[in-house]
Amino acid sequence: MTLLDGYAGKIAYVNLTNGRIEIQETPADLKKKYLGGRGFGTKIISDRMDPLVDPLSPDNIFVIASSPLTGTGIPLGSRYMVSTKSPLNNTLMSANSGGTFGWKIKKAGFDAVVFEGRAEKPVYLYMNEGKAELRDATPYWGLDVHETTDALVADLGDKKAKVACIGPAGEKQSLLACVMNDRDRAAGRGGAGAVLGSKNVKAIVATGELRIDEADKDQLNAVKERVRNKLEENGICQALTTYGTAVLVNIINENGILPTRNFQSAHFSGAEKISGERLAETFLKKNSGCFACIVQCSRVCEVDGVTSEGPEYEPIWGFGADLGIDDLRTVIQAASECNKLGLDAVGTPTAIACAMEMREKGYIKDGPQFGNPDGIVDLVRQMGLREGFGAELTDGSYRFAERHGHPELSMSVKKQDLPAYDPRGLQGHGLSYATSVRGGDHVYGYMVSPEVLGAPEKLDPFVNDGKATWTRIFQDLTAAIDASGMCLFSSFALNADDYADLAAATTGIPMDSAALLKIGERIWNLQKLFNITVGYTKADDTLPARLLKDPLQEGGAKGRVWEREPLLSEYYAERGWDAEGVPTPEKLRELGLE
Amino acid sequence: MKVTVRSFATLRDYMDAEFAIEIQESATIRDLLTTLIGRYPKLKDEIFLDDGTLRDFVNILQNGRNIAFIQGLDSILADGDRIALFPPAGGG
Repeated sequence: MTLLDGYAGKIAYVNLTNGRIEIQETPADLKKKYLGGRGFGTKIISDRMDPLVDPLSPDNIFVIASSPLTGTGIPLGSRYMVSTKSPLNNTLMSANSGGTFGWKIKKAGFDAVVFEGRAEKPVYLYMNEGKAELRDATPYWGLDVHETTDALVADLGDKKAKVACIGPAGEKQSLLACVMNDRDRAAGRGGAGAVLGSKNVKAIVATGELRIDEADKDQLNAVKERVRNKLEENGICQALTTYGTAVLVNIINENGILPTRNFQSAHFSGAEKISGERLAETFLKKNSGCFACIVQCSRVCEVDGVTSEGPEYEPIWGFGADLGIDDLRTVIQAASECNKLGLDAVGTPTAIACAMEMREKGYIKDGPQFGNPDGIVDLVRQMGLREGFGAELTDGSYRFAERHGHPELSMSVKKQDLPAYDPRGLQGHGLSYATSVRGGDHVYGYMVSPEVLGAPEKLDPFVNDGKATWTRIFQDLTAAIDASGMCLFSSFALNADDYADLAAATTGIPMDSAALLKIGERIWNLQKLFNITVGYTKADDTLPARLLKDPLQEGGAKGRVWEREPLLSEYYAERGWDAEGVPTPEKLRELGLE
Repeated sequence: MKVTVRSFATLRDYMDAEFAIEIQESATIRDLLTTLIGRYPKLKDEIFLDDGTLRDFVNILQNGRNIAFIQGLDSILADGDRIALFPPAGGG
């Protein structure tokens, strides 16, 4: 039986300790108030778990959740989320991924899977048309992400099966370990892979052909048509097809905000050599993309006879400008190595950048050096296997820098490393970095869009006016998009009304843009409450000292730092929180979170 | 006076990636673009709408600062300026 609301209708609760799986109906209230994806993960964990548990213990809960708009044929409706207590920084985090796995979870009969406890031996979860069972994963333990995926599909004799898994990094419980799916798609940040590794869960396999039906087919077809046209006509989406996210290298560099050599400066003389334009002229073979995507922004490259998917802007920046390296070959290979090992392609190079600065300043004797591509790919491998010098770096830059007496050289917020935009030129994006509920991160509130790219409109990155409101809206809308299943890149073309119309026509839940944003705000506040319980305070909503005190020396933002106040206080007020950044009782009542 | 112009992404299909150009004293960005369109006619439709305003998401930087936050198309050039032209583009 199929439901007529975009959902598969079932959630599997998997007790790894005793091996029992309980399948429950997806509650109507959960759909209405949290929609799916990041909403489901945040709510389920908030309800079921003490926030103070050790994230690598059996007490941590791990949720994989698809979403109502995923797999319905809506253009760019392909996403799923993983949610858990982050072992990197104890926040209640969700990480997003594309490909085809999110679609296949629903075809397998499930909206979400909840892992609790710990298996005695390596297992994988097999899901097929409403049935879920744990199977022995011992033969796959030790294999990298590509090997694991290919072996499972071959052993099952099922070419249509889709696999999400951890690589050696997750098995070794690296705090930079991620969850990979479709071989090269990553739910990248926060150490989610380490949580699965600590539970002895190697993989999740989804297969089956169950139907996914929407509430109002005619209405949805009309909205799909409108959405398709908007996406096809949008200039930013068109550029993504041609150059991929790599197009950002030159844009961000020319704006003087490309963090270089561990954020010591923000302009890289070698940027052109690692740019999207250069990639297109050299190693790029073709593009590719996720389920139902008409943008197809992924890159497929060939280096020395080896084909790999990627690289994206973040690892190009990370292995390029942040390490002072302008060798595109090394950048592509290092990014691919992250995928195979199951490592966060942001946190891995940024940990190396931190080590390079520590060496440059003489705080460590041996280690990699800025500008030297030799040995970088091997170092990534070591990080994935927790071996050699890689073992020092594999739990992220903050723990490494602190261990060696210089935590100020970790360019992180709440122990999670900052990505590829220097906030000294971006007041709004800097606010987003400081207040993101999972730590240093750019996707939870991508203020680069208005402040640099001009979407939906051009905002002056140097001013504070309106930035508290804009940041809140971006954060809430993103949370709602993460709950809906749409790819975040659709937001270059679509607005909150479009997402609300898509959700209403698919699920039958009455929704306008205000209601959609309320769902996002509810999710954001739940994550915030969890973080407060584990001990985060206003003092943690800040940036590394370098970005508050050391002005940029060149470029369009020369002379600037990120100014924390009055912007942070305005943001708290905008959110309906008190002066310490704690949600007020009125706000919680308004959101139904008393 | 002389300014340096850099083009990016799909604009490189229509014009050189980097070059210096002579232009009259006190020329504006608008004057520069008129000169460039004279040299590279296909540039016009790439960056301008029919009414003469910039297309959505086209960004022009003068020494790393978006002209939208200087004087827009009326921003005045100085000798040695670096101008960067970007078609719509984005990512994450």
